[in-house]
Amino acid sequence: MVGDKGRAMTKRAMFLRILFKSLSVRKNRVFITFFSIMTGASIITALSCVYFDISAKMSRELRAYGANFFLGPASASGSRTLDARTVEEAIRMVPSEKLAGASPYVYGMVRLDLGNAVLAGVDFRGLRRLSPYWQVEGKWISVDFDDEACLIGKSLAKNMELKVGDRVNVIGTETGFQKSLTIKGVAETGQAEDEQIFVNLSLAGKFLGMEGKVNHAMLSIVAEGTDIDGLAVQMGRKFPGLEARAIRKISHSEGKILEKIKGLMAIIAVIILVITTLCVMTTLIAVVSERTREIGLMKAIGAGDRDIVLQFLAEALIIGMSGVAAGLLSGFLLAQVLGRAVFGSAIAFRMIALPMIMAPLVAASLLAAALPVRMAVKIVPAQVLKEE
Amino acid sequence: MRKIVLETKGLTKRFGNVTPLDQIDMQVREGEWVSIMGPSGSGKTTMLNILSCLDTSTEGDYILDGVNTATLTEKARVAVRREKIGLIFQQFHLVPYLTALENVMLAQYYHSTIDKDDAREALALVGLSPRTSHLPSQLSGGEQQRVCIARALINEPAIILADEPTGNLDEANEEVIIALFKELHRAGRTIILVTHNPELAEFSDRVINLHHGRIQKDVQV
Repeated sequence: MVGDKGRAMTKRAMFLRILFKSLSVRKNRVFITFFSIMTGASIITALSCVYFDISAKMSRELRAYGANFFLGPASASGSRTLDARTVEEAIRMVPSEKLAGASPYVYGMVRLDLGNAVLAGVDFRGLRRLSPYWQVEGKWISVDFDDEACLIGKSLAKNMELKVGDRVNVIGTETGFQKSLTIKGVAETGQAEDEQIFVNLSLAGKFLGMEGKVNHAMLSIVAEGTDIDGLAVQMGRKFPGLEARAIRKISHSEGKILEKIKGLMAIIAVIILVITTLCVMTTLIAVVSERTREIGLMKAIGAGDRDIVLQFLAEALIIGMSGVAAGLLSGFLLAQVLGRAVFGSAIAFRMIALPMIMAPLVAASLLAAALPVRMAVKIVPAQVLKEE
Repeated sequence: MRKIVLETKGLTKRFGNVTPLDQIDMQVREGEWVSIMGPSGSGKTTMLNILSCLDTSTEGDYILDGVNTATLTEKARVAVRREKIGLIFQQFHLVPYLTALENVMLAQYYHSTIDKDDAREALALVGLSPRTSHLPSQLSGGEQQRVCIARALINEPAIILADEPTGNLDEANEEVIIALFKELHRAGRTIILVTHNPELAEFSDRVINLHHGRIQKDVQV
């Protein structure tokens, strides 16, 4: 009956017909396998998206813990102060989108009504962004030209019996410059600033006789370790009298935290990949066990090992690829949920993540199919076809 | 005299100390219908497995259509099954998610070209023209066995090997299948069938009786 007349059907068409009928008849198993792969792919995609975006996100988050960059007079210069305009120029070298906050500082002793204190001249708007962790009772000083108000550290306020709204007389010990200021806020910092009184830079210059001068500046820069070091080198070259350096305590901690978080995410991703692989493998083994007779029959009527391998790998690949595709989509959405919940912003999709997600997941699908396919190939038709 | 299609020489199968098949010498000629009978444990199934190249002998030769299968690799034996043998099973063994037509086309798929009209013709030959698009679950036992026969015939095999083809059928369906085998025999097909059913065996040319793995009787009917 093998003739050349009649309606011929290509082998590929028959292969696809067998493939899709075989999948459609096992909807539950196919769905379980698809869902396992999709869940695994989804979590791995979400973790990968966060993994590749976390450096920028964490760096921004860690800016809440204060300055990570210091500008001061170079030790070789022998000076203890810097020109305020030089410092401003140096600060302008930092791209605005990377600068979380910056403030120059000038320090000196002043006399208050009940004793001496350290006075710090600062850029209040910069200081507020630089030190978002400060707890301020009352209000921050919001404009830098406010010559009538000051901020006072909590311990100093307590010792001097001062509170928000009180007026305090400040006298420069060197200059004798005197002014009565309103306490607009009491700041609790948990650090040496609790013992200081803060006014704007120009007013501090008048109290201390250091107009146009600053002692140093602190910056909070959103960048990873190597970027920040590069910036320090550039600033040092441009302004030879300036010492510019990353504050290691913070930037190193950032790096270490990032490394640990990334490592943890990688471990979780691998564990999920292994669990997904085992889950898919178990389901496929069950599928092969269910189909031993069918496989035995196919072999009995002339299917070679290659035909069996092709059939099962194609089935695994179809389920695997569709699971991975659905997982990529849902994983990206999950990443957005994580991004909003943890960082308060969206997670960007980076193309570099795509092959790094696809490759292990497709490999896991094929690995999961390897043992069941091997089982299928090993089926002895004479044994399985005789079983009742 | 018609040519010898199948020949065994000293065919022996051993499983450890058990010898289910012991020194079988037989010849089957083209167009001959041979029934193999015998009590349970006599070696019928082992013999059929070897003749259908689903199993190998421990000793001896099995020459099918000029090819000594005893010396073949597993891959080559698959090719022999595909090219030279049509298998009919007691439990029918159809792929449950394929229609009657597709089950027949499956044998074409593994063999060579797929031709729907040829597959339909094979189903028409066994009287199943109106049932080509039915799934096995929608067919009676007799109809499933007829699909199995159509599948066995589709690639024009050198021999048809049937294992208890009426074993799972009621009387009415049994008659239909017996009639089909008679038809195939008339058409010149070479048939070897293993059966307990003397009514089926009486239509064959020869009956070989196995006992303890040996040929006890080989008689012309």
